[in-house]
Amino acid sequence: MNWKHAALAAALALVPLAAAAQANFAGKTVTIVVGYKPGGGYDATARMLARHLPNHLPGKPTLIVQNMPGGNSIIAANHMYNVAKPDGLTIGTFNRNLPIAQLTGVQGVKYDMTKFAWIGSAANETTILAIRNDLPYKSFDELRKAKENVIIGSTGPGANTHDFPLLLKDLLGVKLKIVSGYSSSADIMLAVERKEVDGRAGSYTSLRQFIDRGLVRPLIRARSTEAGVEKLPVDESFAQNPRAKAIMALRSAPEVVARPYVLPPGTSAEIVKVYRDAFAQTIRDPALVAEAEKAKFDLEYTSGDEALKVMREVLSQPKDVVDEFSKYIKFGE
Amino acid sequence: MLDAFIQGLLLVLQWKAFAFMLLGIGVGFWVGLLPGLGGATTLALMLPFVYNMQPVEAFAFLLGMHSVVATTGDVTSILFGVPGEATTAAIILDGHAMAKKGEAGRALGAALASSLVGALIGAAALALAIPVVRPLVLTFGSPELFMLAIVGLAFIASLSAQGARGMLRGFLAGGLGLFLAMVGQDPQAGIARFTLDSLYLWQGLDLVPVLVGLFAIPEILDLVVRGTSIAGDTPAGHISHGALQGVKDVFRHWWLTIRCALIGTFVGITPGLGGAVAQWMAYGHATQSARTPEERKGFGQGDVRGVLGPGAACNSKEGGALIPTIAFGVPGSTSMAILLGGFFLLGLVPGPDMLTKHLPVTFSLVWTIVLANIITVGLCFLLLNRLAALTAVPGHLLVPVILVLVFIGSYTTNSSYADILVTIIFGGVGYFMVLAGWPRAPLVLGLVLGKIAENYLYISVARYEAAWLARPVVLVLLAIAIGVVCYPAFQAWRARARASAHA
Repeated sequence: MNWKHAALAAALALVPLAAAAQANFAGKTVTIVVGYKPGGGYDATARMLARHLPNHLPGKPTLIVQNMPGGNSIIAANHMYNVAKPDGLTIGTFNRNLPIAQLTGVQGVKYDMTKFAWIGSAANETTILAIRNDLPYKSFDELRKAKENVIIGSTGPGANTHDFPLLLKDLLGVKLKIVSGYSSSADIMLAVERKEVDGRAGSYTSLRQFIDRGLVRPLIRARSTEAGVEKLPVDESFAQNPRAKAIMALRSAPEVVARPYVLPPGTSAEIVKVYRDAFAQTIRDPALVAEAEKAKFDLEYTSGDEALKVMREVLSQPKDVVDEFSKYIKFGE
Repeated sequence: MLDAFIQGLLLVLQWKAFAFMLLGIGVGFWVGLLPGLGGATTLALMLPFVYNMQPVEAFAFLLGMHSVVATTGDVTSILFGVPGEATTAAIILDGHAMAKKGEAGRALGAALASSLVGALIGAAALALAIPVVRPLVLTFGSPELFMLAIVGLAFIASLSAQGARGMLRGFLAGGLGLFLAMVGQDPQAGIARFTLDSLYLWQGLDLVPVLVGLFAIPEILDLVVRGTSIAGDTPAGHISHGALQGVKDVFRHWWLTIRCALIGTFVGITPGLGGAVAQWMAYGHATQSARTPEERKGFGQGDVRGVLGPGAACNSKEGGALIPTIAFGVPGSTSMAILLGGFFLLGLVPGPDMLTKHLPVTFSLVWTIVLANIITVGLCFLLLNRLAALTAVPGHLLVPVILVLVFIGSYTTNSSYADILVTIIFGGVGYFMVLAGWPRAPLVLGLVLGKIAENYLYISVARYEAAWLARPVVLVLLAIAIGVVCYPAFQAWRARARASAHA
């Protein structure tokens, strides 16, 4: 009997050892799957992390970036959920609005955001609305009292350039006219310059240089915040009823997890812990911070647990809220 | 101003900047030659390397790379009929036809010389436009951009085939292109159109697999069927002889080259039109230079004007594309968007400051384009004999290599097997279009311009209601579109009138 116990104890003792050995990445190659083509913000962040994350992982593996564009990132998420092995050698990063796609039942979704092994998020995005500086409205209060339509350019449903002003218009009754179809937020900026439109919504990161230059003025922001726009009023605070507030909150919820990083579902707890620690250290790594500053990237760390909490929150909404939400918001970009 | 102009040159000529430019040229050279692998992707991949460089070095590297991609892309297009870049497909029509006649050397000579002229004109336009750049770009609002797309379509549809029947086919092919452009999530209601329930089609059809299929597959099939080398029975020694002839052709058609270069610059300046349009517009214009129906028939069968026009436009657009990027901080293309990221990395804020405080840096960009092109064209001329000789290699040795490159090239678009499928499907479409004598150019242009046309029409109506129709530039462009459609009829009438006068 005794030797059996001893063997069992030995076997149990070996388990964490084996796992610890498994989490050593010496000589291995880790792939970051990005749900977009090269060139955008998600891709650039992944490439930046790929240079610094190895320094904080045991065994300093080689990190490579693989672009898997299509379906606004759904293809990459499906791959991470169904195909990628949970061995710690594949990380995924994709569209922050994927929980919205799952929530509103978009065709082709074959993942559950709450079942991924969450590493965390590398950035917040604050959506703001900015209008041309030469317009008479100096604050959101003044804009609310506007008699004439203020024209807002957008890239299309599903993008924050569209959904944020849409809710301001439909739920808060601000007199906005949304003109959609611009091919990029840069295109809208040009339309602002030639006074074809009066302003645009978008991430603070992308609008900052135009605010600094005095072309546009920020008036209102969504819930998630970052340095520079904390003082702006928040859209939800103007909501007349809990339903409107819930819809606005739901739209902006994923913005806290703006650069999500996940491991496939079923990844062992040890590997997840190794990645979470490395990720947290990397984002505070002075070398990365200096680089991000140069590139005008704002990196903000959100832990895996917090990210998962946001996913659960978004996906546990009652049906009537979801139905109401789906009337306004479509998944995209 | 002149100070800044010279300062800019000196900046590029510093040994470090110059060395980085050479490195960039080396990378760009190969990227251009390889089909599918595009300039934008490569720029994104190279961006991390510029962290520790000075601004001028970084731009010498990035822009040096970017500005030679189109030049060497032309080479692949001419030699193999495989678009080296999405932007160099138009040169295939006559360039590859010349290669098949055993005139690869002459075609390459003409393409390279016109590329150089185009690059110089584009850079000159950039330099000259600096004082007036802001009003210039702001003239073109959404209504004007919509009309430009229409002019472009009318241009290609009416010019890419002859006679009433040809014109009809041109417009039908253009319509098919417009239809294909509708595939994907629409930007007004967010509804998925014609996506066949597949996520792959959600973001629309990508240009590269379609182009590669339409143009490369028919040429490969043709090569297999003929069972000879690309140049057929032309003796190998003869093929590379014409290079000087090609250079002379550029000077013989000097004004055409200049006009096509200006078309390219204009397309480059106009944000949203996209580089793939430039060559086609120039090709359309080149076919207009045919004076008689017989001459017109020669286009598509190896008329050198069909080579030097697109060649000039493709490189001149780069100078133009820098204009909105520099002046407004608003990129005119994907490549420029990535380059913009480079500006930030280096602590420069693109915008009005680039035209005043950082003017020497801006001019160093102009000089980089000029120098990079001179070096690349020189290099290509040195290699020209070897390159042209490839058209004498037996088809059965060449086809496997080309096929591999073609499919890898289209696969890099989305790293999806569907890319391969799209290439094969459009390969079939392209093959039958060639067999039946339908022009492929309007289809491509419809696909490229379809989204632009749809979106800007929507924006114009939503923003201005009917008033957009009364804008002066819109009216001028409308008149041009009508003129372009009627031009062949007018030409035919003039020919008849002349014939009866002689009789």
